[in-house]
Amino acid sequence: MSYWKLVWKNLTRRRSRFVFTLSAIAVGIASVVTLLSLGTGLEAEIRKQADVLGANLVVTPRGWCAYEQISVLTGESLPEAIPSETVRAIERIGGLEAVPYLTQRAVLHNQPVPLVGILPERMRAFKNWRVARGDYRLDGSHVVVGSGISDRFRLAVGDTVRIRGQEFAVSGILEQVGNRDDLAVYMDLAVAQRLYGAGDKVSFVAVRVDDIGRTDDYIAAIQSAADVDVVSDKQLLRSVLAIVGSVGNALQLIAAVAVLAACFGITNTMMTAIYERRREIGILGALGAGRGTVFSVFVGESAVYGLLGGIAGVVAGFAFSYFAAPYIGQNEFTAFVGSEQSVSVFDLGITIQALVFAVLVASLSGVYPALRAARLSPVEAIRYE
Amino acid sequence: MSDPILRAEGLTKVYDGGYRTVALEDVTLEIPRGSLTCIMGPSGHGKSTLLHLLGGLDRPTSGRVYLDGEDLTAASPRRLAGIRSRRLGFVFQFFNLLPMLTALENVQTAMLLAGVPRREQEARARELLRLVGLEDKLHAKPNQLSGGQRQRVAIARALANDPDLLLMDEPTGNLDSRSEEDLLEQVRAVHARGKTVVIVTHSDTVAALAERTVTIRDGRVVPG
Ligand SMILES: Nc1ncnc2c1ncn2[C@@H]1O[C@H](COP(=O)(O)OP(=O)(O)OP(=O)(O)O)[C@@H](O)[C@H]1O
Ligand SMILES: [Mg+2]
Repeated sequence: MSYWKLVWKNLTRRRSRFVFTLSAIAVGIASVVTLLSLGTGLEAEIRKQADVLGANLVVTPRGWCAYEQISVLTGESLPEAIPSETVRAIERIGGLEAVPYLTQRAVLHNQPVPLVGILPERMRAFKNWRVARGDYRLDGSHVVVGSGISDRFRLAVGDTVRIRGQEFAVSGILEQVGNRDDLAVYMDLAVAQRLYGAGDKVSFVAVRVDDIGRTDDYIAAIQSAADVDVVSDKQLLRSVLAIVGSVGNALQLIAAVAVLAACFGITNTMMTAIYERRREIGILGALGAGRGTVFSVFVGESAVYGLLGGIAGVVAGFAFSYFAAPYIGQNEFTAFVGSEQSVSVFDLGITIQALVFAVLVASLSGVYPALRAARLSPVEAIRYE
Repeated sequence: MSDPILRAEGLTKVYDGGYRTVALEDVTLEIPRGSLTCIMGPSGHGKSTLLHLLGGLDRPTSGRVYLDGEDLTAASPRRLAGIRSRRLGFVFQFFNLLPMLTALENVQTAMLLAGVPRREQEARARELLRLVGLEDKLHAKPNQLSGGQRQRVAIARALANDPDLLLMDEPTGNLDSRSEEDLLEQVRAVHARGKTVVIVTHSDTVAALAERTVTIRDGRVVPG
């Protein structure tokens, strides 16, 4: 006989109650794990995307709110609105490099994919792209695709794709860069403008400045040269993190409620168990169990609930994150989650944190019932039938 | 009666839960070492109360209990738990065993609480259960045992830590005369091995076994 065996025998004597209490804990911990794994995965991904934006500043149409500005990062296709004379005015400012582009949607195999109209050579230099296979050739009948697109749609050099009813040959495939750029089809800007009826307008102008220390001066210069808004990559990042943060807050609230419910579940289960086992507690007392021993046995039961529920919760949580991540990826705020590895499917750190948390919270929930048990006098418990 | 193992002096127990009951009043008695003592008396007159006080399960309103000269009424709860575990064995009238444990595990639990290492527990528990004639019921749960068998498991468990003093509250209370005989046989054997035994009982058969009988009436010891 050992104390663990005693704890275990007590735990499992009421199968259904054991299972229900465990499920409650598992749900609570699963929501915590989902929160943690989605949270860390998302934030890391957003930072990565913003890093490789390759621009310090982005010129957007006048009067855009933060929500609209974020589409620069997410690649949502918002109406093209910056005319070519504005682009030229910005290009005339010294000490910066400005690259206009148009974002649209194309459909491959019935799935929407981002299509970006670019000035081929300037964009390649700006982004430092390298070609993995084929040639970098963009014109009226050729496009280039990112590595992610080529993988997803099994596109090889020389294959044809149909965009807005017109056939284009894939001339080349870019080397993987690890962000959204991998997940787009690139077309010559003029061709794209004609195909999508965008006139001479573009969606954004990406700007890289020579002297980062004078970023504010450049913003002022651009705004006096043209009627546009300018955001810095840092501002963009902050806006996105704020929005993702608010999504995270909602998740946190759900997790907190789930954990709290699990705690009450444990407390309730233990109170019921102690009421039912008054006489057994008396027997233990008569056999020489001190208050400390009775307390430990009952807190031990709660802790084991925490451990087992925690393990089930961790498994369920990671499974949920794994299956849910692709759907969350459809959401425009979180559209960064393009690549599969962006959501951590299993993370040792999170696992340990979640288990420690589960055991701790469960033990705490068991403290009050265990104190009640320890305060029972042996006679009180034996006396009545 | 030179060296009593247990001595009670002026024990009074008053229950005051809204309405006052004097369960025990000024009880003074000695239990000689190695004796077999019966406590008898009408129902509700304080026998169980006395037994609980003698075993340090409860505290008196006033008066003292000495076990080998040590004042139990002044001992800390921790000290009392230790004494119950190592020096005393209890058998109660109805509810004795932990229902989710087998006979063997019930006996082992008493050893666990006394800090007996796991390796030693099982062999000793088997031996004790063999002594009470239950070697074929080691792995039976209490609800698979008869009332008499349960009481025998309780006796085996009370003996688990080789106590000096065995306190039994109506151990044969709900047994037929055949089972009562069996159980008394066990008690006699325990007593023969030098243990001090105190039995609360209504049964004349049990009383016939005793060397001494203490009669309690209205919470007092009846002289004679
Ligand atoms: N916890 C308690 N609270 C209030 N009164 C109590 C309590 N325990 C016992 N009593 C009262 O104390 C008196 C003695 O009770 P006790 O259990 O000692 O009697 P007993 O002699 O063992 O009776 P029986 O032979 O029926 O077991 C009774 O009147 C009982 O009602
Ligand atoms: Mg009684």
